[in-house]
Amino acid sequence: MRPVAVIAASAVTARGLGWRGLGRAVRAGDRAATLCKGLGGVLAAQVPSLPAAQDVEPRQLKLMSRGARLSCVAARSLFLESPALPREETGFFLGVGASGGTVKELEAMLDASFSEDRFDLGRFGTSGLGACNPLFAFQLMNNYTLCHAAIREGLRGPNAAIFSRGSGTVLALAEAHHAVAAGDCEVALGGGADSALHPVTWAELRREAGEGVVPGEGAALLALAAPEHARPLGFLERCEVHPGRQGLELALESARRSLQAMSPECVVLTATPNRREAARELATSACPEAIFEASTLFGESLAASAVLATVAALDLLQEGEVCRTAVLVMGPDGDVGLVGLAREVAS
Amino acid sequence: MGREAFVRGVGAVSSLGLDWPSTAAALARGESAIARVEHFDIEGFPCQVAAAVRGIAEGVEDRRREFALRAAREAWGRAQLSASPERVGVFIGAESGRASFSTVLALAQAAGGGARFDHEAFGQRARELAPRIDAAAVSPAAVASMLAGEIGARGPCETLSLACSSGAAAIAEGVRAIRRGEVDVALCGGVGADVDPLMLAGFGLLGALSARGVSCPFDAHRDGFVVGEGAAMMVLSAERGDAVASVAGVGRSLDAWHLTAPDPEGEGAATAMRAALREARIEAVDFVQAHGTSTQLNDEVEARALRRVLGARLAEAHVSSVKGALGHWIAGAGALGFLCAVHALERDEVLPTAGLRNPDPRCELPHVQGQALRKRVGSALVNAFAFGGANTSLVVVRA
Repeated sequence: MRPVAVIAASAVTARGLGWRGLGRAVRAGDRAATLCKGLGGVLAAQVPSLPAAQDVEPRQLKLMSRGARLSCVAARSLFLESPALPREETGFFLGVGASGGTVKELEAMLDASFSEDRFDLGRFGTSGLGACNPLFAFQLMNNYTLCHAAIREGLRGPNAAIFSRGSGTVLALAEAHHAVAAGDCEVALGGGADSALHPVTWAELRREAGEGVVPGEGAALLALAAPEHARPLGFLERCEVHPGRQGLELALESARRSLQAMSPECVVLTATPNRREAARELATSACPEAIFEASTLFGESLAASAVLATVAALDLLQEGEVCRTAVLVMGPDGDVGLVGLAREVAS
Repeated sequence: MGREAFVRGVGAVSSLGLDWPSTAAALARGESAIARVEHFDIEGFPCQVAAAVRGIAEGVEDRRREFALRAAREAWGRAQLSASPERVGVFIGAESGRASFSTVLALAQAAGGGARFDHEAFGQRARELAPRIDAAAVSPAAVASMLAGEIGARGPCETLSLACSSGAAAIAEGVRAIRRGEVDVALCGGVGADVDPLMLAGFGLLGALSARGVSCPFDAHRDGFVVGEGAAMMVLSAERGDAVASVAGVGRSLDAWHLTAPDPEGEGAATAMRAALREARIEAVDFVQAHGTSTQLNDEVEARALRRVLGARLAEAHVSSVKGALGHWIAGAGALGFLCAVHALERDEVLPTAGLRNPDPRCELPHVQGQALRKRVGSALVNAFAFGGANTSLVVVRA
């Protein structure tokens, strides 16, 4: 994989807007979880109130899933910080989660569909539909996490929304990389956006991720360009997924070989509690001295986890802490994802 | 451009047949599968017809997997390929991912029974609820993962969630992976199983569905799309074998215009088509499998974009949309269109647009009406344009 330059980045996390400082916070083992009312008072890494300049307009909110809103905020933040970035032909490749629709809409629809404490499909057709927002469908479609941001920022280039519960976002970064490397576009945005704070997502995650999982949410983007770019923040050297469906041991073994070949000076890992031990062991095999857990800060943010960890790793590069870093992703999908970043391109 | 991606096998499950040959034969006769929904109470819904698959997966919660598995087995069986598992990838367009209808009910019950959503009660009972949620039904990725297991693929496994463009985008990803040398074989395709209360409600509330209950792309009387469902799968390979068709061009763009409406000038659609043609190094095609949804604006804009992109060369082509017969498969739509294009090349037979009786003058195109048209087809363009303005075009040529 030929390296490409990272020329801009953005993030929205439980610490608010911005990616600078995330590396240091991850390295320090900071936590940002607070009690989440919407999930009955569990600890969650939830994004706080957002500045109006980046947040979506209030009338747009009813059209959006939480992931779509966060994606819009990350994109706006990117272009506000880097106004010289082109838009018209810029590629956009995003890892997206399942959009469950806001509970408020489901509640209204269900509320009007019950008859004597039983759900009644007839009432659903006659009353339930009328009770919810006509634009509800937009919240249910995963691609809108990408499309809302594209419409808002005027992005018209090649694109893909790749479903992700961890490694899909590594694939989205890889697609953005390929789009630049193949000359499909001069600049491509790659990243992910998601929220695990939806009740259905949370219930599912709780079952799959093991005891102690902290649901999180967020979005982050990297802007990629040709390696000759004048002022790169770093270089994206590697994006790969080692599928876990044939057994975790096989995936870990092939990931171990790749990770060792990368020779990272630190590993930023994001893993669900039931995979944390395996992830640490894998990271230790390549870099025993410097392993930082991004999930401690960001929680399990599903489609956002991989890229949140990546911008934290980019921050470590920028801080001059390391010259080469790896991001290790072991989300609830069971795959092993690897992202490699370097401060300089090897000549 | 790298290696070529040859089409080695195809398969489908549709409301006109449980495999691709029977589906294609019915399509060639101009048949339509659109009928009143019978498997749930449709009273009160804005549109009460659909093209539902019957005879398999009835009563199954996640019908996507049933459809996709059957179609993939057909495609894989026809391809007769052997490849190292690490060199086989799976690229699937699948949307869903929302809570299934029964999940929504379980959620409501866990949150207090329906009078109001009680967040505190939900928080306390979430653990109890979790086993009742079918993770595979909730996750779009479950389809690709299951298919990878079925064929023993150990290469990349991607799920594209780009609404109506998902299936075509998945094929694009498979083609790219073959060209880059990441895989030698790619199982690609798309699946939609949206004839369910939530999606009929959602699209109905948007006013996107036909109130008349008729799918008639490019017709003067079209008034919205009809939801269909099914799976279309294909096996692409870097090895030619006995392939008749290969994918020569891929184009992708975003409208960046509006949530539901396409750019009225069709610029986004035209950009995707031009990119696909440029990559294929051709300026004209013999056949266009249009996105053709049967909605007022989409059909008009697509027709305008086609006229602009192909210009005078459009007269040499023929255009049709399979949605007149099988409705709109959403995440599966682009893959179904791709199969129609491959059929045209393999059989020299262009499938017609069912339901098209009175072509709209604003959609003036060389339509194929009534029954299939026999003609020599050396190249075809496939369009898939999604809600939100994500466009994918593919060019298929004779290998």
